[in-house]
Amino acid sequence: MLQTLSLVDGVLRCQPWMTQTAVAGRTRALAVCVFAFSFLYGMAMGSYGGIGSDRVWQLLYSGLKVPFLLLLTFLIGLPNFFVLNTLFGLRRDFRESLRALVAAQAGVAIVLASCVPLTLFWYASFGDYSAAVLFNGLIFAVASFTGQHLLRGFYRPLILRNPRHGPLLWTWLGLYVFIGIQMGWIMRPFIGSPNAPVEFFRTGGDWENAYMVVVRLICDALRR
Amino acid sequence: MSQSTLRNANHSGSSLKTRLGSWSAVALRAAQGWLHALDQILRGETTRLSALREQSLQIPLAGLSLLILALALCYGFCMGMYPGCRIEGPSGLQWLACMLKIPALFLLTLCVTFPSLYVVNALVGSRLHLLAVLQLLVAALAVNLAVLASAGPIVAFFSFSTTNSDFMCLLNVLVFAVSGLLGMAFLLQTLHRLSTIPNSLARCPGGRREPMPSGPIEPGETSEAGTSPAMSLAWEHDRWLSDPKGPRPAISPAEAVVIESEEEEPCALDPLEGRVLGRHVKTVFCCWTVIFSVVGAQMAWVLRPYFGNADPNLPFVWFGPRTSNFFEGVLTALHQLLR
Repeated sequence: MLQTLSLVDGVLRCQPWMTQTAVAGRTRALAVCVFAFSFLYGMAMGSYGGIGSDRVWQLLYSGLKVPFLLLLTFLIGLPNFFVLNTLFGLRRDFRESLRALVAAQAGVAIVLASCVPLTLFWYASFGDYSAAVLFNGLIFAVASFTGQHLLRGFYRPLILRNPRHGPLLWTWLGLYVFIGIQMGWIMRPFIGSPNAPVEFFRTGGDWENAYMVVVRLICDALRR
Repeated sequence: MSQSTLRNANHSGSSLKTRLGSWSAVALRAAQGWLHALDQILRGETTRLSALREQSLQIPLAGLSLLILALALCYGFCMGMYPGCRIEGPSGLQWLACMLKIPALFLLTLCVTFPSLYVVNALVGSRLHLLAVLQLLVAALAVNLAVLASAGPIVAFFSFSTTNSDFMCLLNVLVFAVSGLLGMAFLLQTLHRLSTIPNSLARCPGGRREPMPSGPIEPGETSEAGTSPAMSLAWEHDRWLSDPKGPRPAISPAEAVVIESEEEEPCALDPLEGRVLGRHVKTVFCCWTVIFSVVGAQMAWVLRPYFGNADPNLPFVWFGPRTSNFFEGVLTALHQLLR
């Protein structure tokens, strides 16, 4: 418990020892942190419709989907990031970069988990589904910006050592956001409308592209 | 009789198994060697100035070509997921066709453009040998394909989760463009590095570098063979090309300082410090880029469709009608997307 707290503290304070020194098991501990904290937030997210009867399944589904959202987005972008690091002569630092990425992921999960009471309080205060969606969107945005801030902190020594890490960091962030938005879109529903049946993936509606939906919304708004 | 036949069959079976085992071990070792060669190219070890001075551009041509085809197959597999996994009328044949067309695209483009690329190279006055041109192009393609294949999971994910073919078309064009640009950056820098080492350009790659005759050019210390790194680096390629038999230019002490640090991690895309691109390098690179890009783009257009017909009732076709061209096609897709 004390070790977990020390790890969480290290992540939030951007401690250089988190990424600069390779300690056996720390990356695994960080990965466990990512899973545990995001699972917690996912459960809270899915509790919008209550926990009675089959709604308890929504808790479990959302609890599983949030860690998968973070994990799959990370894994899909990683091969490209690895090749780009190699090509730009940063291969020797890749282990450290990887530790920084995992630590930042843990940071996102910690921020999400810290918002669990806020989310539950919001659900208890307001009954509107759209407001709940917006609130969760806001929490995710805050967590993402914090994660980005932490990642830049972890990357500072790397950038000082080799300035090429800077553009690569922004490339990673771009890739992560690009994949993450679509991943979040296809993994809906996370909250679960009380009027809709409980389901893991949304059925009926097609797996449309998130960006296409945005483009269409913008085009429709401009036409009006 | 039957026992001896059985024994013979057993013996031949075990020898076949042993042979298969040794073949697979050899194949595995060869594949590891090719992967190592690709890794060295990506890390910039192969195109390090010291490595180029030692043994020019050393790459296993056949092995790397096979690896390039394998990487292209991987990307084709990811790209083909769009027609292969779509909800309405998934087409396994189209998936297969897409998978095969990506290696064909790169192979055919190289075959079609290679003669003209070599001729341009020779006409401009570069001293790159035929085999050296091929090695350089294969190395650049390896970089291109490595980046492309590494983006495969991203493309596969969007292929799997998107129903809009225009979006997929533009995403693939974007991925191809980014990987192509990185391949071109590698080509330019390697061409530049090679141009700073006249000896390696003049001879057929594969052999050891012949010692340069020592002359009045030594700015500092000289090795026994008269080939100090400073001397190689400070060589003026353009001047060398204009008058290869004339006296070699003396170099300034400032130029002689440009010696790469062996301790620093190399980068295949880094420009050489303190050296501007030579006129010949620029010309060769521009001509190669224009020829390869235009032919490659049109080849991609000729090999279409990659995603097949959205209407599952229409029959599968390997190639589309020969109308329009690549650039018009991309503009149409963009227009459709924003409509």
